[in-house]
Amino acid sequence: MSEEIKKLYNERLGRFQAAIALEPTDRVPLIFNTVYYAEKISGYTYQQIMYDPQIWAQVEVDFSKKYPEVDTFRTNLVWAPTWDILNHQLWRVPGRDIPPTSLQQFVEKEWMKADEYRMFIEDPVGYRMEVYLPRVLGEFKEKGTVRSYIAFLKAGFAQGLVAAMNRERISRLENEVGVPMPCMGGFTAPFDYIADNYRGLHGIMRDMFRQPDNVLEACEAILPDLISRALASADPKKRYPIFIATHKPCFMSPKQFDTFYWPTFKKGVLKLIEAGYTIRVFLEGDWSAHWHHLAELPKGKLLCDIDNEADIFKAKEAFGHQQCITGGIPNDILILGTPEDIKQRVKLLCETVGKDGGWAPNGGGHIPENTKPENFRALIDAILEYGRYSDGPPPEPKQAPPTPENLDLPEPKVITPWEVIKEENGWSIPGDEKLIKYWWDRLESMAYNWVMSQ
Amino acid sequence: MSELANAFVQLDEQTVYKLVDQKISEGVSPLDIIKECNQGLTEVGELFALGQYYLTELMFSAEIMQAVMEKLEPLISNTENKQNTLGTVVIGTVKGDIHDIGKSIVVSLLKTHGFEVIDLGVDVPAEKFIEAVKQSGAKVLGMSALLNSTYQEMKNVVDALEEAGLRENVKVIIGGTICTENVRKFTGADAYANDAMTGVKFAKSVYGVE
Repeated sequence: MSEEIKKLYNERLGRFQAAIALEPTDRVPLIFNTVYYAEKISGYTYQQIMYDPQIWAQVEVDFSKKYPEVDTFRTNLVWAPTWDILNHQLWRVPGRDIPPTSLQQFVEKEWMKADEYRMFIEDPVGYRMEVYLPRVLGEFKEKGTVRSYIAFLKAGFAQGLVAAMNRERISRLENEVGVPMPCMGGFTAPFDYIADNYRGLHGIMRDMFRQPDNVLEACEAILPDLISRALASADPKKRYPIFIATHKPCFMSPKQFDTFYWPTFKKGVLKLIEAGYTIRVFLEGDWSAHWHHLAELPKGKLLCDIDNEADIFKAKEAFGHQQCITGGIPNDILILGTPEDIKQRVKLLCETVGKDGGWAPNGGGHIPENTKPENFRALIDAILEYGRYSDGPPPEPKQAPPTPENLDLPEPKVITPWEVIKEENGWSIPGDEKLIKYWWDRLESMAYNWVMSQ
Repeated sequence: MSELANAFVQLDEQTVYKLVDQKISEGVSPLDIIKECNQGLTEVGELFALGQYYLTELMFSAEIMQAVMEKLEPLISNTENKQNTLGTVVIGTVKGDIHDIGKSIVVSLLKTHGFEVIDLGVDVPAEKFIEAVKQSGAKVLGMSALLNSTYQEMKNVVDALEEAGLRENVKVIIGGTICTENVRKFTGADAYANDAMTGVKFAKSVYGVE
């Protein structure tokens, strides 16, 4: 990284981190999360980007060069072969199932039946291997065949390839154009995990009325694994927040939310904060009935992306004193409006919710693909014009907080612990057992996380 | 409000089924039972509009009503059934979008409120909408979408209705959280809805019910 790029990177990261912490900075930060607009203006189709890692990395670097004022952003895509090799039933893939110019789409169904809760609660990983995965992975339907073993082998190779691609993309952004990540790694609310992947909206709705205790137990059962997965995927240097996309709260009554969603969500988030992380959370839909809970969490630790359905001004009032928020630009103005519409909207937001910091512009959690280029430019220009707090440089990036000594984190889980295989083989271990055990357990827990996250 | 309607409002599923079974065995006419249930259903809709009930509660009321209809339908003659229909609605998720959830909630509420629904599914091309409106003579066409890349496609459908000379015969509503007044104007639709009950109310107003 050249000195110049390093300076740019530090300025952007410092501004981003100060905004999350609700501390003073030089201007309203441009800290987008997902920017589908970046893919659309690249001239490539989603299929080309999602099948060619070189193109994907180039699209991101080019976007940053085109819009150097943007502090951080990401393309929220997946290397599509990971879905192909398993014939993953949860996703419709650009260029394979839908036109190459369409974004991937999620298929929500009752993949777990209403009467299977006990099986899942009593043995989450066993349930997934025996029942769930054969349903959602086409290549695992014939469990135990050569073809099904090969599917898992391919998935293992793919996991290694994906890790290398991600490192490469992130490194190019950091080192070539000085762009930090808007988030890294992911936590999922236990209720969303069950609702999105297992039961679907209709199923979970019935379950809340007909078998509330099972829903609660399932959320508790999966929580430790979701915390482990978040920590395993997070930025080891703790520079970037851990991402959470919330999906179902906008459909839930306050009573349902307080009963089913919030308790395990809060436990997970608090644990990650305690471990020294900040959190970026997309509050999908209208979260306003549940906002007051966000003020219960430690101050300046959450960055909340407010969706278009909610009122950004009311969000500021409800918990903006406690957590940083982004949003306020209606997607339909980005797509259909004029630069003047954007300028007036940004001016209003800078003078109100952004007046004393703690706000950044965004569409409804993302910048839509069909945003007019002149509107995106107008957004940036308006921030530079109306969003300045001081002439000084932004604050320096923060030092990573140390992990507290007595932090009680869930142990990463494994299928076959080292002790078991050691005992089975009667190994006496004349050498250094720690070396062997470390890699045995580490690969075991990677495999466990993989099984839990498909 | 009757005990049955009240059980509906409380979303007390088991009591609803018990009372319906009791009334069937007492020889109460199925249409009268439906009427009572509808009172409860309407009240649930009101509570939803007031912000006291949320989407999952609205959905569960439709779920209970569907189970009640399964009990009653075999007891209703075809003529009665036809008379009982408020009108026909054609609905689908537009081309380029495969999201089903929002649409299926509207479909089940429309059905429980007494509409005949022609559900074209997801990723529906304009021609299919036109064909269904032509065939059925429906006065309401609903287009559902979740992705904000579908504005143009919704406009295409409205334009195609115009070209087919059908625009005068049918009112168009677009629905989904991405719909706003700006989007409605852009597409040329007659109305937009961000929640399922607005869609039901629109269909009722077009057919002059309530």
